Amino acid sequence: MTRAIDVNEKIHEQLKNSGVTLAASLPDDWVAPLINRIAADNTMRHVRVAREAEAIAICSGAFFGGVRSVALMGATGLLTCTGELATLNLRHQIPVFLIVSQRGSIDDQRIYQEVQGRRTIPLLQTYDFPYHIVNRPDEIASIPDAYETCRLQKRPFVLFITRKLVKGDAA
Amino acid sequence: MKAREAIEAVAKHRGDAVAVCALGMAANEWWAVTKGEDAFYMHGAMGFAASFALGLALSLPKAPIWLINADGSLCMNLGCLLTEASQAPKNLKHFVVDNQVYQTVGALPMVNQGRTDYAAIARGAGIVRTRTIESLDELEREMPQIASEDGPSFTVLRVEAETEFLRTPPMTYEGPEMKYRFGRALEKRFGIAVFGPQGY
Repeated sequence: MTRAIDVNEKIHEQLKNSGVTLAASLPDDWVAPLINRIAADNTMRHVRVAREAEAIAICSGAFFGGVRSVALMGATGLLTCTGELATLNLRHQIPVFLIVSQRGSIDDQRIYQEVQGRRTIPLLQTYDFPYHIVNRPDEIASIPDAYETCRLQKRPFVLFITRKLVKGDAA
Repeated sequence: MKAREAIEAVAKHRGDAVAVCALGMAANEWWAVTKGEDAFYMHGAMGFAASFALGLALSLPKAPIWLINADGSLCMNLGCLLTEASQAPKNLKHFVVDNQVYQTVGALPMVNQGRTDYAAIARGAGIVRTRTIESLDELEREMPQIASEDGPSFTVLRVEAETEFLRTPPMTYEGPEMKYRFGRALEKRFGIAVFGPQGY
């Protein structure tokens, strides 16, 4: 419990250090605690969406308003918006920073996450979307560099958070 | 009313609004009428011009943002109406060119053609100011009020479907060039930094 709170507090803090002031989200259970933290932060605009691709397009519009943003979702949600990431963000070279649960890992024994576990990273590689996996609390400090890389590469960048990170070793 | 006439009537009242246009007919017609560089013309992500416009409106709360959407695009992302209603940006006006066909691909019928009341759907989502406009006279009468009232508002423009392909050419800037032209136009106008010191 304490660990989960610390981890989400640190991610939240590093998003703020990256200059993020807008978050658009659709929860899965691993990112839900982070979404709750952000929703309670009056300095960050939080937009709840009905489909993950809305979050992608909201963040893309915010880019042109000079606002740094993040899209928060589960791995299944990421799969639903690959078309929009390609035809909006790749087409126009618009950066969008995503924090996504890395579902379907060896310690995530849910049958409905199995395909996500096997095919999400190959799919990102096919689109040439950069990604970075944060597996330990001390790696959370890499978020500002990841954010800058997203801007520099002008495309979607997925920062995965693992089960070990959000649930701890005992979970 | 023809789509071109409706777009001309809306564009006439846009003042200094920044437009976001759904891909296809809406974008092509807006470009033909305005030649506006302070507009973003979607090349893809059908349905998500609405979400893009919302993100822009939330980021530039003092800038009037006009979304030029179309019925085919709206139906790809009806959930955008819930998100618009929940965020309720005062600076966002949502127009839907409703011709009941997929015009850009040859006027094939829309799903549920002739039965859907988009304004009722928007009202049901919680957007208070909704209208359906059936004629050019009515549009000319209503536009000053639409332009001056607070958003969010949702206006359906019922237009005649063309029977064949509309041959209006798209705007002439390629995807990345459009990004930089649009971003630089907003930087200049609003004194914001869209791009960093190294240009990305």
